[in-house]
Amino acid sequence: MLRDTAFSSPAQAGAPDAPRDAPSDGPAAREHRHVFTAMASPNEIVLAGVSQPQAAEACALAEAEIRRIERKYSRYRDDSVISAINARAGRGGVTVDAETAQLLDFAAELHRQSEGLFDLTSGCLRRAWDFKAGREPTPDALAVQLARIGWHRVQWDGRAIALPQAGMEIDFGGIGKEYAADRAIAVLHGLGLRHGFVNLGGDLRVLGPRPDGQPWVFAVRHPRREDEVCARIALSEGALATSGDYERFFITPDGRRCCHILDPRTGQPVRHWQAVSVVAPLCIAAGALATMSMLIGAQAAQRLSMPGVGFLLVDGDGRLQSHDPERLLQHPAPSPP
Amino acid sequence: MAATEFETADASRAGGWGGVLAAALLLPGLHATVQAETAPEQAEIAVKVLSYRDRQPGFNRIKVTAPSVYLMVPVAGRWSVEGSLVSDSVSGASPRYHSAVSGASRLDEERTAGDVRVTRYNDRDAWSIGAAYSTEHDYRSRTISADYRRSSEDNNTTWNIGAAFGDDWIGSSNDPTLSRGRNTTQLIAGVTQAWTANDLVQLNVGASWGHGMYSDPYKFPDRRPDRREQYTVMARWNHHFSDWKATLRSSWRYYSDSFGVRANTLETAWVQPLSGGWTLTPMLRYTTQRAAKFYYDPVYDPALGAPFPPGYTATSPQYLSGDQRLSAFGAITAGLKVAYEFAPRWTADFSLEHYEQRAGWRLGGSGSPGLDRFQADWLQIGLSHKF
Repeated sequence: MLRDTAFSSPAQAGAPDAPRDAPSDGPAAREHRHVFTAMASPNEIVLAGVSQPQAAEACALAEAEIRRIERKYSRYRDDSVISAINARAGRGGVTVDAETAQLLDFAAELHRQSEGLFDLTSGCLRRAWDFKAGREPTPDALAVQLARIGWHRVQWDGRAIALPQAGMEIDFGGIGKEYAADRAIAVLHGLGLRHGFVNLGGDLRVLGPRPDGQPWVFAVRHPRREDEVCARIALSEGALATSGDYERFFITPDGRRCCHILDPRTGQPVRHWQAVSVVAPLCIAAGALATMSMLIGAQAAQRLSMPGVGFLLVDGDGRLQSHDPERLLQHPAPSPP
Repeated sequence: MAATEFETADASRAGGWGGVLAAALLLPGLHATVQAETAPEQAEIAVKVLSYRDRQPGFNRIKVTAPSVYLMVPVAGRWSVEGSLVSDSVSGASPRYHSAVSGASRLDEERTAGDVRVTRYNDRDAWSIGAAYSTEHDYRSRTISADYRRSSEDNNTTWNIGAAFGDDWIGSSNDPTLSRGRNTTQLIAGVTQAWTANDLVQLNVGASWGHGMYSDPYKFPDRRPDRREQYTVMARWNHHFSDWKATLRSSWRYYSDSFGVRANTLETAWVQPLSGGWTLTPMLRYTTQRAAKFYYDPVYDPALGAPFPPGYTATSPQYLSGDQRLSAFGAITAGLKVAYEFAPRWTADFSLEHYEQRAGWRLGGSGSPGLDRFQADWLQIGLSHKF
């Protein structure tokens, strides 16, 4: 359930995405771009319609919120809440704080809605799969990890969580980074800022349109041709998240592509979609829906068809399928100058 | 409409993932931008001219021309101050009873009105206080009001309450000695719920208690109670059609007062944005009303003749009025508004409404007999700019 996606922001996308109106409102109309690395991703915060000192202060506070969430939920840090829960696997429960409880409730709801496809306990599969070496796991190695998966076996009563078996673990892959983007937006909104976006490694949420009311335009990269754009998505509000099979993968000697998005029931890589991009009001919802779509395969379009959600699916043969009631998706310019 | 609803229902039966959004909105501190209490960021100025005329067969009654200006300015990020000024000039014949023309009684009036409102926005709530003033040579109205609204944690529900107090003075150009007052206290409460991502429903209830002079000094005979209680219930439903990028606004309003008037109003409007900055909004409204208990039909005393009802004596203690607004009728309003955003932050709009009132259009009972049909037209052009 690890996802890595690549987007180019308006600042990177060049001429076709430049604002239609040249900034005319003085220095405050300039865009301020703050770049940093956190959660193992390149991130950026773009603000407009404010002075440079205000933008710098706001970006610092938003970044601090993102780093707080990273510290609290990183599985790589021994002092994180996630590590504390995993360390007690098979040995009893851990009482969690209110924020963690609400995230666990949300994950439980995703598990229920996806009929078990979205599972916080499926991260252990990465122990069986070696993407660096490009080797498929043996059936025995896979069976060991599959036996450790199953959110339905986790004892979660809304206050305390207990993993019933040693070796079982949870992580917030698929929702943690997205939650951080939403929280960063809340920080910026609370400071009175209204124009800009937060992009955490391709999972992004828009604070508000450009100061002239025009939307931000985001380019979605082609899942097979790294330098090409397969769609542009214009957003004045809401969030965009993409899940794809192209970031970490290897090709087996007999030509099968093995990506890092793994089905918790079989332990096997998903194969139906090359990429799924979802537009939704919140980043955490867009991210969860994109991941669930990769996992469910053919039924994704039907499940995603709901008010307030737009999506772009790229199937195994590279064909695009979109549902776009709000007309957010733009086809790429034939030959960008 | 049906197609969209069925599609949505089908998706949920087949295990659609609509619950994911709802569950995400429960997470702590994720301010959804929908519907939150946000202070306006841009100032707005609007200039409008309204032209109104009404008529009955063979008889053009009143013409009103009313230019107005509106200004709203955000202050210090959390406040807004807004105000408007309007000046009416009314000309035409003043009807004295039912539909008849009272000789050549000409009416030329100037009215000046203004209001101002200050709003404070917090994250979850907003409150505002306002004052309004209106004056013409035989009437003056002063109102103060306060409103408070609050949104739920998930921003899906907004509650509002409000109170207003009005103090009116009534004079008459026919009777320079007339100087009477009227006080009104009004309370409203409502709730707005985002039902789905595409549906917004609202329920508002209101009550008003007034005492003072309600009789019309320009109608004779016209004697109305000096107390009036009014109650309203209003339900609205806005549905957004994603495929069309359009919104259907529907509402039902029930009105009841201590004069005995009962009215039901159904209204629907279709807001259709088009390419190139155009928005078209056709609208249709139907009202059906029961007459006030003391409304009398245009049947007159055989000895005294018009406008006196049968058996009328100058000392009759009972209330009576021939004001056709208190009669039983049905009325239809059809309108169209065209708005055009011709440059960023500049919008021009034009709207036209036609109103027609007929006794025979009343639903559930015949309307008041003997009244001519009554027609009115509103035409408004406006220009607004955000800066």
